[in-house]
Amino acid sequence: MDTYDAVDNDEHPMLGRLIKFGLFLLVQGVAVMLVAFVALLVSFEPGWSATTEQASLLQPGDARSGTLLLKEDGAYTEAIRLGIDVDVTVSGPTLRARITQVFRNPSNDWVEATYVYPLATDGAVDTLKMVVGDRVIVGDIKERQQARVIYEQARRAGQKAALTEQERPNIFTNSVANIGPGETVLVQIEYQEPVHQSGSEYSLRLPLVVGPRYNPAPIAQSVDFRPDGSGWGTTTTDPVPDRDRISPPVLDPAKNPPVNPTSISVRLKAGFALGEVKSHHHNVKIASPDSTTRVVTLADGTVPADRDFELTWKPAAEKAPSVGLFREHVGDADYLLAFVTPPTEQATQKPLPREVVFVIDNSGSMGGTSIVQAKASLLYALSRLQPADRFNVIRFDDTMDVLFPASVPADAAHIGEATAFVSALQARGGTEMVPAMRAALTDKLGETSMVRQVVFLTDGAIGNEQQLFETITAMRGRSRVFMIGIGSAPNTYLMTRAAELGRGAFTHIGSAEQVEERMRGLFAKLENPAVTGLTAKFSEAKADVTPAIIPDVYRDEPLVLAAKLDKLAGSLEIKGRVGDRPWSVTLPLQNAAEGKGLSKLWAKRKIADAEVARSMREATPEETDKTILALALEHQIVTRLTSLVAVDKTPSRPEGKPLKLSELPINLPAGWDFEKVFGERPQQAPTQLRERRADAGSQPATRRPMPAAPDAIRLPKTATSAELKMIAGLILIMLSLVLFAFNRRQPLLTDAA
Amino acid sequence: MPRLISPLVLVLVGVILFGDGAYIHAKAWLAQVLLERAFDRSVATAQPAKPWSWADTWPVARIEVKRIGASAIVLAGTSGQALAFGPGHIHQTADAGERGVAVYAAHRDTHFRFLRDVAIGDVIDVTRSDGKHFRYRADSSAVVRFDASGIDPAAQDVELALTTCWPFDAVTSGPERYILHATLIESDR
Repeated sequence: MDTYDAVDNDEHPMLGRLIKFGLFLLVQGVAVMLVAFVALLVSFEPGWSATTEQASLLQPGDARSGTLLLKEDGAYTEAIRLGIDVDVTVSGPTLRARITQVFRNPSNDWVEATYVYPLATDGAVDTLKMVVGDRVIVGDIKERQQARVIYEQARRAGQKAALTEQERPNIFTNSVANIGPGETVLVQIEYQEPVHQSGSEYSLRLPLVVGPRYNPAPIAQSVDFRPDGSGWGTTTTDPVPDRDRISPPVLDPAKNPPVNPTSISVRLKAGFALGEVKSHHHNVKIASPDSTTRVVTLADGTVPADRDFELTWKPAAEKAPSVGLFREHVGDADYLLAFVTPPTEQATQKPLPREVVFVIDNSGSMGGTSIVQAKASLLYALSRLQPADRFNVIRFDDTMDVLFPASVPADAAHIGEATAFVSALQARGGTEMVPAMRAALTDKLGETSMVRQVVFLTDGAIGNEQQLFETITAMRGRSRVFMIGIGSAPNTYLMTRAAELGRGAFTHIGSAEQVEERMRGLFAKLENPAVTGLTAKFSEAKADVTPAIIPDVYRDEPLVLAAKLDKLAGSLEIKGRVGDRPWSVTLPLQNAAEGKGLSKLWAKRKIADAEVARSMREATPEETDKTILALALEHQIVTRLTSLVAVDKTPSRPEGKPLKLSELPINLPAGWDFEKVFGERPQQAPTQLRERRADAGSQPATRRPMPAAPDAIRLPKTATSAELKMIAGLILIMLSLVLFAFNRRQPLLTDAA
Repeated sequence: MPRLISPLVLVLVGVILFGDGAYIHAKAWLAQVLLERAFDRSVATAQPAKPWSWADTWPVARIEVKRIGASAIVLAGTSGQALAFGPGHIHQTADAGERGVAVYAAHRDTHFRFLRDVAIGDVIDVTRSDGKHFRYRADSSAVVRFDASGIDPAAQDVELALTTCWPFDAVTSGPERYILHATLIESDR
């Protein structure tokens, strides 16, 4: 070694000692270094083995145009991309929709994708297909738990699998496991639904996005006392036990371009000569191959999935057919679907005076265009009141105001006061719907000579629907509940079920232009006597009719009955009262036309009956579940107890490759105000610990406390100077080596000289 | 030869610096070996066991991420001393498996170096010193300032937050922290 040579050449004793000491330190240093290197290797090993995963991290600058990036792990990962195609065929009274979701994985990872999406409330989902390359895998209906297990097994085994689960009658989740890097997987579901009719207008509604729901927090246990006043009750815990499952991430439209492009085509075979066909919220092209058929497609190709698609059509004739009868033979049974529109009674007598309680939702989710529509609707309603009527107005968000202590006469002074009150409303806060419904249903006047009506204006963006239903059944008394669904993506399930339990009707208002027309329709229902006391009787066939208790039918609405028959013979007689006059109609069954998928509609309707019976406490939850499960398995439809699962038997993900979970984000429904739902946009995005989820509510938006520094947890310093020291040390060693080499050369040069 | 003195001093300082840095890693690694034993002992005896007689902290949990084969023994408290030997459990936060957020912090260049490889969806196993197992699933991550962690100690769910310094590859320490958030999916209670 160089150093030894140097020592030999030197004669200075003092320097010799110094060098010896230096050498001692050097040897010790080398020993420490050896130990250190071993330690370094051991502690670094896991880090090295997994570096390949870093490859998927992108920075915004790297993205190709039009790529959606989601922040994750501090860097950006390219998200799974989703395209949706909706293909609807309307055949007379029913429609069949095929929804194809295209999951494309542009990343370098194996991904599991989940997508939360809405479907029509009355839709019976019966088919799931997964298309991988040129293979089509058809899904089976299984009990929910069992389907989950099958899916999880396939997921772990690296097989491609798709699972369709119901979260609410109108919210479903599709999960797709093991989508490989660069791969595309198609998931196709199909459902059957009855066409809606109101007066001479027929309609279909395709919900395309789940509006962020307000999920009340389980702060305190609420207590439900039995209505019999015995003093016994039960405590309920979380009002929304599945809040995570209905709260997909929502993109802020100010920061992200819209996602989930959707194409829609509708093949409309009405079965009668068509008049006006109209799409209410989308630009469409309408082709008419013949007088009874229309083909409707989107004019712009694709649209972002951010609002409901609504199509209405009218017959060319002045009056729509008032009776429709359709049959289907499945297995050893016949299924029948009957539409009967009762005659409209000309108002000969003055309508009964009414007590109307208006309830308006001014929560944050109503921000933007919804609150404008709601206020316009309510102001229209106030102007329609008669002096003999009484009324009250309730507004609610996560707080509540009742305008008058009790309902007041609808005179000019009171109407003026109410108009001012409504005009001043602003949308903000959470959505505590139950207390407002309770207040509206509290019958303070007890005036039995008046008809009591509750008109409820909301987008229904809550996750605790069941609590609301229970409130209505427990407190409805003689009140009738009319629901008005407001906005671009209202919760139709909540509207229909609440109106059914409240023995009222419902309507949708999706834009400012619809306010007057729809409100006029609703007022026709409010002001005219309903068809009551309806019964249905089959002369020969043994029939299982649904709905089990036939609801009252309001003006312009058809009575819709589904029945399972042992034989198609004899006739169906429907009786009821229009106002105070008896009315009846007899339909011979052999005149029924062939229909499609009626058995599924019957089963779906029977399931809704079972759920209603449970809400009314007429059946125990266990009985309800048993009924639903039997129906669902027999008719192969998705319910809250059954799911569709498809598994590709060929494993595709190599063993050991990790699988990433990607919850697909959804758009904010059109016209909604992001800040009103989720509070202020954070100035510093990273301070938000979790991604914003569609759980709009646990923190009422405007009241959310700012993250307070004092009581927040301070995170300790977690970096050592080890690396810095080691790097500095290495640099110094290198430097000294260079100097050594330089010094060794220097004496030689001087000697030569 | 006086010319040799300056390089010699340089090499000495260099070696000492390097050794010092490496010593931190060596200590972190050796301490975990000792802690592993102490932890097994405390699980067996159900008594807090000190890893060495003069230690001012004791192991409270073992944290494992099986997918990437990472594991570490967590110590009580987050003093500089404790963090040199292993991840620390921040005192005012909940215990693992209890309602609230349990926060574990560790150095980004030693015990929590593996945090960069933990993906959303990974399963994180925590064994408490009383032998109880809890299984968490990583569900989100964030980069925050040390004094604005956004962690709510009064959270309703059973949650876990693993934190370390950010960015992972930096040489000097800064105010940013990386938080990996996980929620309980399974417990053996």
